[in-house]
Amino acid sequence: MPRRTYNIAMVCDFFFPQPGGVESHIYQLASKLIDRGHKVIVITHAYEDRKGIRYLTNGIKVFHVPFAIIYRSATFPTVFSFFPLFRNIIIRERIEIVHGHASFSSLCQEAILHARTMGLRTVYTDHSLFGFADAASILNNKLLKFTLSDVDHVICVSHTCKENTVLRAALDPLMVSVIPNAVVSENFKPLPRPEPNSSIFNQHPLPAHPLGPNDTLTIVVISRLFYNKGTDLLTAAIPRILENHPNTRFIIAGSGPKAIDLEQMIEQNVLQDKVEMLGPVRHENVRDVMVRGHIYLHPSLTEAFGTVIVEAASCGLYVVCTAVGGIPEVLPSHMTVFAQPEENDLVAATGRAIAALRANKVRTEKFHEQVKAMYSWTNVAKRTERVYRGISGDLTNNEFYGYDVGNEGHWSATRGRNFALIDRLKRYYGCGVWAGKLFCLCVVIDYLIFVFLEWFWPRDQIDFARDWPRKRPPESDDEE
Amino acid sequence: MRLTTTPYLRIRRPSPTTAEFTVSTLPPLTPSLRMLLLSITLLRTVLSLQLVLILYTLWASRSSPPSSSSPLSLLLAHLHHALTSPSPPARLASYLLAHIPGYALAPACAGALYALARARVHDAESLLVLRGLGVQTSGGRFIPTGKIRDVLVNEAFRGFEVRTYLVVVVDGEDDVVVVFPRLLPGARIVERVWRGVRECLYEEGKRGWEGEGGGRGIEGGWRC
Repeated sequence: MPRRTYNIAMVCDFFFPQPGGVESHIYQLASKLIDRGHKVIVITHAYEDRKGIRYLTNGIKVFHVPFAIIYRSATFPTVFSFFPLFRNIIIRERIEIVHGHASFSSLCQEAILHARTMGLRTVYTDHSLFGFADAASILNNKLLKFTLSDVDHVICVSHTCKENTVLRAALDPLMVSVIPNAVVSENFKPLPRPEPNSSIFNQHPLPAHPLGPNDTLTIVVISRLFYNKGTDLLTAAIPRILENHPNTRFIIAGSGPKAIDLEQMIEQNVLQDKVEMLGPVRHENVRDVMVRGHIYLHPSLTEAFGTVIVEAASCGLYVVCTAVGGIPEVLPSHMTVFAQPEENDLVAATGRAIAALRANKVRTEKFHEQVKAMYSWTNVAKRTERVYRGISGDLTNNEFYGYDVGNEGHWSATRGRNFALIDRLKRYYGCGVWAGKLFCLCVVIDYLIFVFLEWFWPRDQIDFARDWPRKRPPESDDEE
Repeated sequence: MRLTTTPYLRIRRPSPTTAEFTVSTLPPLTPSLRMLLLSITLLRTVLSLQLVLILYTLWASRSSPPSSSSPLSLLLAHLHHALTSPSPPARLASYLLAHIPGYALAPACAGALYALARARVHDAESLLVLRGLGVQTSGGRFIPTGKIRDVLVNEAFRGFEVRTYLVVVVDGEDDVVVVFPRLLPGARIVERVWRGVRECLYEEGKRGWEGEGGGRGIEGGWRC
């Protein structure tokens, strides 16, 4: 029986031309889903020179929705005003599943609300971790709770992220899947291996970066220089590491408010010849910076997944990183040295990594093939597709959620997300004393707008858009 | 009975190398519809005349009555007398004049007159394609074949909607020329016109648009 294919709309505020991790995640996932025979459109807001409807490689149709044309002020909150256009796009493109990305994206939250009102299945992917204590996180958590009260399924990029999201939005853990990010390993290849007879010492097997006893060892750091990326930790650790290991150099790429601290540290300790600051690096040049080093240092204080350490390992670098957030899940232990997020431990861990590399104990030349086998977007797309099949009812509940999910009554109350307005209102009402009532009001207004739109712009007067020619879905790989 | 329909397409092909695509909102002319349209035209004429009369009265009340005895001014005097004699339209005009100040009345009348002259019950837009010569839109724009880089179907946001429309890309111009800009017919009509235009303009047979890059490439539009 041929697999069913879906029409999917990815909704996010963040998309190309703006660079970033979420942006490339959406692009890669969409591209691979199209390879599997699905139809994918991306809905985002208009950027300065990017308005209207465009096509990207592989037939990804991108809607840059121009809010500035509807309202003169670009930052106007558009909770309900997005609905008419959204409905038009959804009907034109015959969308069945709305997939929102990133919790800071208000467009995504609105889209999920509208999609549920229109009776579509929704998936939400969370890309980041949040705290619980400060005012901003409390507000953000309330908003997230609003969105996730009525979503069909949630995807997180790591198990830590799943735990965080389940706690923040008080979800049933069975509703949350973990699908990690991936890297395009072709873009992160290590330097070509030198000829075996070109080195002075005949070693067998040859290490990836043959380090002579007096060769300089280079440590690379690529991150935005912000507090949460651990730049303060880095600033404190660099002088001590260089003191302990004189034959070591640092290359730091990235920009941010903490860059000034790093520069001060370099000046104070007179390390200009040992620490090189590259400033911001474009994503396509990251690999060229990485392959200049032997160790990748990642001092982040919080991280949902940490794609960059996968990229570093794929380039054949030994990774030193803090054991925070989702990082410990990302790479196998033989590729990494973990440190507690504090200065002493970071210095000690870096010391261990330098010693291991100097002793040629780490087989970094094999990292690329191993990472390639672990992380591929094709695999991510396959797993995401399984989520789509689960929420669309093409997999049975037992198959999708597991066989030990308890009785049916409990099931339909929490996970069987039906579209009846009263059931949706019940779910929203439980969000809080005041928030619950406010959310219910929003949902009712949204529903009334929907009824009005159905009358004012009847469904049958909206043309269907032509589809990009679909690819034939691959036959062989069913459930693994 | 409805005065307009959704836009529909009429294709005329007077010769094998010529085609005219007309998109119109005029429903089929039944006798009752003809009567209705006629009465609407009559009503518009009467309204327009009334507005002209108001404007004339306004003008006459401002300027001094004609005193010289040239034939033109004599005629004007006769006309003035005829128009200001107590008939219902003249009474309405002088009533309005007495109650509304002239500076408000004059622009309002002029505006209403303009709207009456411009407003139309139906709209029709056409595209004339002449092989070897070019295309002409109903806006009066003629684009010679040599300057047409491509004819394609595109989509864009318009208000709260996404609309499909047909454009002609003209060589050396930044803006494309939108065909049927007022009516913006639906995707089905646009597609038929697009096929027809390409067939007529480039002699592409049924096979040209079906994929193997016959004739010219389609950039940005879709390829079926």
